[in-house]
Amino acid sequence: MPIRVQLDRVLFERRMSLTELADRVGVTIANLSILKTGKARAVRFTTLAALCRELDCQPGDLLTYEAGPSEAPDEAGDS
Amino acid sequence: MMRALGPGSVSSFLKVILDVVYAALMIGVAAVGLMVISALVFSFNPGLLQGVTLPAAGASLASRWPTVTGGLLAAGLYIAGVLVIVGRLRRIFVTLTAGDPFHPDNVSRLRLIGAMLAALELGRYVVWAAGAWLAPELAKQRPGLSLTAWFSVLVVFVLAEVFREGARLRREAELTI
Repeated sequence: MPIRVQLDRVLFERRMSLTELADRVGVTIANLSILKTGKARAVRFTTLAALCRELDCQPGDLLTYEAGPSEAPDEAGDS
Repeated sequence: MMRALGPGSVSSFLKVILDVVYAALMIGVAAVGLMVISALVFSFNPGLLQGVTLPAAGASLASRWPTVTGGLLAAGLYIAGVLVIVGRLRRIFVTLTAGDPFHPDNVSRLRLIGAMLAALELGRYVVWAAGAWLAPELAKQRPGLSLTAWFSVLVVFVLAEVFREGARLRREAELTI
């Protein structure tokens, strides 16, 4: 997945723990961990909005795009 | 409106019925297995039967032990095939009762059910052909090509693909934060 989630860096800058963010955003720690480790397949706009609200940042601060080997949509779907 | 999925729903009721059918089939397979073994034992040791006086029908059956054993074996295999189908259906219904129909394992379970339905249908033709060869007077009725059976096989395979798509969407939803 060429989209990288920079949640670690933003959390560090805000001196906030994952547990605290999970509490504030209303998402389970397990789901936030999936997001943080880059295993997530998609992010709801509502989740993204809540993250930006609590971390006082823009979506671009949380997500970056890094070009890499292209993935066919089917392969991405099955893997 | 009755619920179709989840605890206390129609699927949990059907699961209980499948449990009962599964247990009955297990007993059936065991009984046929015992009959096959005893038929083989008596056929290889005819001396064991000397003390037993068989009625006329039994005697005529005993004189044709290969056909009888083969028939029993075919019946046993048929029941075992149905047992596999019911067993997989039970596991599918466990997931339906748990409210999780698109469990990834249901895809392979449905595919196995489809393959087993096809195998049973093919087995029917094979048994008829073998019967016509071994006991021509018993196999007068030629088995017709059962369109319903082959239609069911295709429907089950299509359903397996539907469940595969469902499992993919479920995984997608799980990884959507």
